[in-house]
Amino acid sequence: MAFNKDSILGTMTFTVVLCLVCSFMITGTADVLKERKLVKKRNELMQNVLIAADIKDVSDVKGTFEARVRPVMVDIASGEMIERDNILDFDERMAAINPDTSSKIAKDTARIKTRANQVRVFKVLDEQGQLQALVLPVYGKGLWSIIYGYVGVKADLNTISGAVFYEHGETPGIGDFINHDDWLAKWQGKQIFNAKGDVAFKIVKGEAKAGDKSAVDGVSGATRTGAGVAKAVQFWFGPEGFETFLGKLKAAGV
Amino acid sequence: MSAVLSNRDLLLKPVFANNPVAMQVLGVCSALAVSNSMQTALVMTLAVTFVLVCSNFFISLIRALIPNSVRIIAQMTIIASLVIVVDMVLQDVAPDLSKQLSVFVSLIITNCIVMGRAEAFAMKEPPHLSVLDALGNAAGYGFILLSVAFVRELLGSGTLFGHSILKTIEQGGWYLPNEMFKLPPSAFFLIGVIIWVVNIAQRKRAKA
Repeated sequence: MAFNKDSILGTMTFTVVLCLVCSFMITGTADVLKERKLVKKRNELMQNVLIAADIKDVSDVKGTFEARVRPVMVDIASGEMIERDNILDFDERMAAINPDTSSKIAKDTARIKTRANQVRVFKVLDEQGQLQALVLPVYGKGLWSIIYGYVGVKADLNTISGAVFYEHGETPGIGDFINHDDWLAKWQGKQIFNAKGDVAFKIVKGEAKAGDKSAVDGVSGATRTGAGVAKAVQFWFGPEGFETFLGKLKAAGV
Repeated sequence: MSAVLSNRDLLLKPVFANNPVAMQVLGVCSALAVSNSMQTALVMTLAVTFVLVCSNFFISLIRALIPNSVRIIAQMTIIASLVIVVDMVLQDVAPDLSKQLSVFVSLIITNCIVMGRAEAFAMKEPPHLSVLDALGNAAGYGFILLSVAFVRELLGSGTLFGHSILKTIEQGGWYLPNEMFKLPPSAFFLIGVIIWVVNIAQRKRAKA
């Protein structure tokens, strides 16, 4: 039987076969790289947490992380810590959009619509096993995209130990200052809460006043990226974020 | 026209005389975006070369089977699959570079050079010629990209492949980097200059 490529049947057969072959090619590659990707993802996570906790220049990221960092799940509403297996591979993104594991945000200042009921945080211990820093995930919408990052606070649960923004889609060359080291260095030592216990952290236009303990310099031309980052921090440390959890930790006197 | 071209012409013509970027002004978008450093330009060139060679080869291989009514879609499917594979491999091998190149690797799908060569050449010619044609065009693309990146990185940051060549004032040297070369518009000027030079050379040759 002669194969007529331009007949309807021929066209159909061709498209189906082509699609199958191409999809096999892609899934095949993805499968080969899957394991390596997972390891890389975990390494990146560990690295980010250590940076946010201000533990720098470590040669053995994995070893340091395993020795000094305790990942825990936190229930946002109750502020309780929850046991869970394999926390490192917990998929935060899925949890935040899955209706079963997330809830709508009432006051959506970070413009993220829903947030996960349980969020993964990292306790970072010092060499003596005391709490040195607490690294919390923050994310919120910048100008174009959702900016993902971690903010670490010291044992007083107020002073910022470091911050890292590992994923964003802001304007290249303008909004991408958020992952520049010299800008992030300005975060260190700033205080999230004011004396009354309200979130005071902000990113100001131009240079922050010398005496302002909670303000970080903004970058001109990228006002909304900066505002997005500030709002993300304000949201996640606020009443619909980690406020309850931090309150309980403080009450327990860590 | 291709029937009269020798293998050598297939390979070399697209580099200078019929350069896809300079003469046909194709694929300029990515050339502007990733040419601010030699490293990204080189990786981008390699990625485009891989996609172009493979897509031309496969398309030419099955050209007799591709139904006319869906030929563009079929080409796109093959190109898109190849690009996804390249993107995944790049993310695995060089995550930092892949972040720098960001969307531009995925955008190889819409790079007119790839589509153009598939439609204009690979659909008509046997595989070995298509591969040569792909290599030639990729070399042409890479030639422009790397020359632009050379100037941009050298004048914009005083480095080449990240190694300091002109010591900048910031590092205690003498060179004040020209920030303009870090920004995409400078690539326009440079490509413009290249097109100019190539045109003059062409005209001279035509007269002689």
